[in-house]
Amino acid sequence: MKSTKFTPARHLTKEEIDRKWWEVGDYFRRNSLWMLMYCTGCCAIELPPAMTSAYDMERLGMGPMATPRQADILLVSGYLSLKTLRRLIYTYEQMSEPRYVVGLGSCPINGGIYHDSHAVINQLDQYIPVDTYVAGCMPNTESVMNGFVDLMEQIKNKTAVGWKKYKDNYEWYRKNQIAALGEVDIHDEFHE
Amino acid sequence: MASIEFLILFLVAAGLISYLLTKANSFLGSVFTIFAVFFVFVSLAAYGFNMTLSTDVLLLPGFSFELTYLGVYFVMIISFVYLMVSFFHPYFVDSYKYKNAYNMLFLLSLAAVLGTFFTDSFLQLFFFFELIVWTTMFLIPLGKSKSAAVMYYGFSAAGSLSMLFGILIMHQLVGSFNIADGLSALTGTNAVIVFISFLIAGFSKLGVFPLHVWLPVAHGNAPHPFSPVLSGALVKLGAFVLVLALIKISPVSFTVEAIGLPFANYITAILGGLSIVFGTLMAIREDDAKKLLAYSSMSHGGYILVAFSLMDSVAFAGGFYHILAHALASAGAFMAIAAVARMTGTTKMKELGGIIHKMPITYIVYLVAIISMAGIPPMGGFISKWLIFQALINKGMIFVAMAAFFGSIGSFLYVFRPLAALFLGQELPQFKKTVKEAPILMLIPMAIITLASLYTGILHNDVIQFINKILLEIGYPVITSSAFSLTGYNGMLNPGLIALVFGIGVLIAFIIFILLKKSRKVGLMDTYTAGNFIHTEELLHYSADFYAPLERLYEKYTTKMTDFYEGLANKVKELGRFAKYLFMSKLVEVGIFWMMVILAFLLWGEI
Amino acid sequence: MVLNILIGIGVALFGFILQTSVAGVNRKIIARVQKRYGPRWYQEFLDIFKLLSKRSVTHGWIFDFGVIMALGGIIATAMFMPITSTILAFQNYDNFFIFVYLLAVGMLGMAMSASGSGNPFASIGVMRALTTMLAYEVPFMIIVLTIINLSGTSSLSGIALYQQATGNNIFLIALPLGGIVAVLSLMGMLGKKPFETYIAPAEIASGPMVEYGGKQLGMLFIMHEITVFIEVSLFVHLFLGGATNIFEFLIKYFLTYTAVNLISNVNGRLKIDQVVVFFYKWPLFLAIIQAVIAIYFGWVI
Repeated sequence: MKSTKFTPARHLTKEEIDRKWWEVGDYFRRNSLWMLMYCTGCCAIELPPAMTSAYDMERLGMGPMATPRQADILLVSGYLSLKTLRRLIYTYEQMSEPRYVVGLGSCPINGGIYHDSHAVINQLDQYIPVDTYVAGCMPNTESVMNGFVDLMEQIKNKTAVGWKKYKDNYEWYRKNQIAALGEVDIHDEFHE
Repeated sequence: MASIEFLILFLVAAGLISYLLTKANSFLGSVFTIFAVFFVFVSLAAYGFNMTLSTDVLLLPGFSFELTYLGVYFVMIISFVYLMVSFFHPYFVDSYKYKNAYNMLFLLSLAAVLGTFFTDSFLQLFFFFELIVWTTMFLIPLGKSKSAAVMYYGFSAAGSLSMLFGILIMHQLVGSFNIADGLSALTGTNAVIVFISFLIAGFSKLGVFPLHVWLPVAHGNAPHPFSPVLSGALVKLGAFVLVLALIKISPVSFTVEAIGLPFANYITAILGGLSIVFGTLMAIREDDAKKLLAYSSMSHGGYILVAFSLMDSVAFAGGFYHILAHALASAGAFMAIAAVARMTGTTKMKELGGIIHKMPITYIVYLVAIISMAGIPPMGGFISKWLIFQALINKGMIFVAMAAFFGSIGSFLYVFRPLAALFLGQELPQFKKTVKEAPILMLIPMAIITLASLYTGILHNDVIQFINKILLEIGYPVITSSAFSLTGYNGMLNPGLIALVFGIGVLIAFIIFILLKKSRKVGLMDTYTAGNFIHTEELLHYSADFYAPLERLYEKYTTKMTDFYEGLANKVKELGRFAKYLFMSKLVEVGIFWMMVILAFLLWGEI
Repeated sequence: MVLNILIGIGVALFGFILQTSVAGVNRKIIARVQKRYGPRWYQEFLDIFKLLSKRSVTHGWIFDFGVIMALGGIIATAMFMPITSTILAFQNYDNFFIFVYLLAVGMLGMAMSASGSGNPFASIGVMRALTTMLAYEVPFMIIVLTIINLSGTSSLSGIALYQQATGNNIFLIALPLGGIVAVLSLMGMLGKKPFETYIAPAEIASGPMVEYGGKQLGMLFIMHEITVFIEVSLFVHLFLGGATNIFEFLIKYFLTYTAVNLISNVNGRLKIDQVVVFFYKWPLFLAIIQAVIAIYFGWVI
C-alpha cells in the first residue's frame, strides 16, 4: 500500500473548482426556476392548470415572475409571428444569465399548423437557442409538467447550455434573424 | 482682541469696498467678499466660543453689546452658513441686474445679524432687525420676481411693528430699553399683550402657520445663492424672538392639568403641529424644487416652535439642536439645487432628469442633506427629532405627537421627490452634452457642509455641552450627555454606536456584493418596457405629479390660507377706496355734502 | 465591544435563517389552504441562492450603491434587535425609534437604486411604498406612544420585561383597541395584501424590483427577509410580551407571522388612495381613543 506520507495531496485545478461551484449553482438553479409570464400564442392556455391547484408547479420550485430580468425560463408558448419574434429576441437578450428557453407546442419545432403561413416562422431554434421542446397541439398539462422536469434533468446533466451557444454563435443567430426579420430593433419611427 | 463693534464696522466698510470692487471686476469683488466673511467667521469662532469677545463700544454712540451663550450659538450658525454660501458668489453674481449691490447688501446683512444677537437693548435689537429686513428685501427681487419682495416685506413689517409695540409697552413699564429688565418686569395683562406681539413677530419671521404664505414665494424666487441663507440662517431670527417670548415671558394663564403646560404654550404647540402638517402636505405636491424646500423650512419651523413650547429641558435641547441640524441640512440642499440650476437654468422638476450621471458629488451632498432633514440616523436631524419625541411622549401630548410623527414620515415623501425626479431617472437629451459637474470652488463648501452634518450626527457631545450652557443661562436644568450616550426621559441613545453599526452592516453587504459575479453594464434606455422599442427619454421619465394619488385626496383645500390673506388685502383696499371716496373725491356732490355737514355742525348751537 | 458586534451579527444571521425558513413553511401552509402541495420548506433559501448565482445587468454606480446601502442598513437594524431579554447585542441602546428610522435608511437605499435604473415603473412603485408608509406609521406610532408612556421606557427589552412583570398583561390584551391597530399596521409594514400595492406584479410589473436580477435581486430578497424579521419581532416584543427563552420567541414569532399571512391570503389588493383613506379613518380613530383612555383615564386591562 502506498504511503500517503510521500505523495502530495492532489490540489484541485481552477477549472475543477469552478466546475464544483457550478454544480452547486446548478442544484439551486434547477430547483427554483422562475418563468417569465410571456404568453405568445394559444399554448398558453395550458399554463393556468400547471400553475394552480390542478398540477401545482410550485412543488417543483417553479413560479411566475413579472419581468425578464428576474426570470430564468422564457416560455415560448405557441406560434411566433414576425412582430412577436422581434420582441421575443429583445426580451431574450434582456434576461439574466444563465437563461433557458422552453418551446411549447409544435409551432416552435416545425411551424405546426401554421407552417405554410407567410407571417409566422417555422423553426425557432434558428433564431434563439431552445433547450426543451414539448410537442403537441396543444400538449396536455401533464406533458408540460414533464417538459419542465426534463429541463431540470438537463440542467443537472449540464446539457442545458443554450445561453452559451447563443453567446458563442452569435453571428450565425444574428444572420438568421436579419434574414427573416429585416431588422430586430425597430428604428425610431417618429423621428425619421 | 476682537470686539463686536469692530467686526460690525469692518463688515460695513467691507461692504462699501466690495461695491466698488464689483463695479470694477465682479470676480474680484466676490473673492473679496469671501475673504471678508472668512475673517469675521474666524474671529467669531476664535473669541466667541471662549466668550472673550470684547463688548466695548468706542465709536458708535448709543449702542451697547452683550455676550450671551444664546447669542453666540445663533451667530456661529448663521455666519457659518454665510461663509459657505459666499463661495458661490463668483459664479452667480454676473447674471444679476444690480450685481454691484449684491455683495454689499450681503455683507451689510451679516453685520446686522451680528448686531441683532449681541445686544442687550431692545431698541438696538429692533434697529438691527429692521436692517436685516431692509438689506434682504433688496436682494430678493434680483432673482425671479419682484412681487416676492413685496410679500416678504409685508409680513416682516407686520412682525416688526408688533414687536415694536411690545417693546414700547415694556419701555413704558421700566423706563429703559434693557432686555433683561424689560422682560422681568412684565406681569398680568401686560405680559399677555407683549407675549402675543412677540409671538406675531416670531411667527412672521420663522414662517409658521398662520403667517407662512410668504415663505414659498420669497424663498422660491430669491436668487439661487441667497436662498440657502434665507432658509437656513435668517428664519432662525424668528426662533430667537420666540425663545425670548416663550421662555422668558411666562404669561399667567390657567394650566392644562392633563399635560402640565400653561394654556398659552399649549396653543403655540398646537400651532406648531398644524404648521408641521400643512408644511408637509404642501411640500408633497410642489413641483419647483426651491419652493418644496421652502415648505420644508415651514415644517421644520413648526418643529422648532413645538420644541420651545414644551417648558422642558430635553425639548429645549432638541429645539436648539434642531436649529443647528436644520440650518446645515437646508443650506446643503439649497446649495445643491443652486448648483444644478446654474448648469441647467431651471429648478422645476418636470423639466429635469438624470442629473446624477454628470454631477455625482452634488448628488451626494443633496443625499446627505435630505437624510438629515428627514431625521434619519446617522445624521444630526435624528438626534434633535429623538429629543423632541422624548419630551412629547413624556408629556403625553397625543395630537401634537401625531402631527410630529406625520411630519417626520411625510418628510420622507417630499425629500425623495427631487432625488427621484431631478437627479435619478432617465437622462434627458437636452442635458446630456451641456451639463458638467460644478466647479471646485463650489464643491468645497458643499463638502464642508456635508461633513458638518455627519459630525452633528455622530459626535454630539460638544454641541450638547454648549447647549447645556445655554440652558443654564435661561434657567433650566441641563440634560445628561456623555461622549457616547445621550439620555432622554425614557431611553438612551448612542449616536456613535449607530454610525459604527451602520458602517459594519454596509461593510458586510459590500463583501457579499464583491464576492459574486460581476454585472454587465447596460444603458438607461435598455430597460423593461414589456418588449416595446423606445427612443424618447422624456416619455420614460416619471417626474410630473409624482404623488398624484395622495395629492388628489387634499388638493381642494390647498389655497385656503392664500385666499384668506388675499381677501384681507382686498378688504384693506376697499377701506382705502371708501376713504378716498369720502375725503378725496373729485365729485361735486361729495364736496357739497361735506360743506353742508360742516355748516350744520357750526350752526348747531345757534338753532 | 467586539463581542457585542459579533453577537449582533449572529442575531442578524439568526433572523435571516429564521425568517426564510418560516416563509418557506408558510408557503406550504398557504398551498395546503389552496388544496395543493406546496414547495419544500427550504424553498426560499434555494430562491435566494439561485439569484445570487446569476449574472445580471447594472445601470450605473447608484444602482449598485443603493442595494449595498439598503442591505447594510437592514443588517445594522437587525443587529440591535433583542431576541430574549438576555440575548441582545447592545444593552440599553435598543430604542424603538432607532428601529423605525434605520428601517427608513434601508428603504431609502432601495428607493434610490430603483429610481436609478431609469424605469418609470420603479419610481411609481417607490411612490406607492412611501405613501403606504405614510398611511400605516401614524396610527402605529400613536399606539407605541401609549405603550412607552405606560411602561416608562422606550427600550424594546425594557417594554418586554414590563409586560412579563407579575400583575401586568401583555399589551395585546391590556390595550385591545391598540392591538387591532397594531395588527393592521403590521400587515401594512410587511406589505401583505390588502396593502401590497407597492409590488403589484400585474399592474406595475413588480414595482421597485423591475430592473433587478441576479445578485442585486438576491440581496434585496435577503433585505426583505431581514426586514420581515425585524417587524414581526417588534410586534412580538411590543405586544406579545417578548420572550424569556428562545423557544417561546420562536413559537410567538411563528404564530404571529402565520396568522398575518393567513389573513392576507383571503384579501384582494387595495388601490393606493384607498390604503391612505383606510388607515386614516378607523385605525387612527381607534388609536387616538386607546391613547386617551390609557394615558388620561388609566383604564388598562
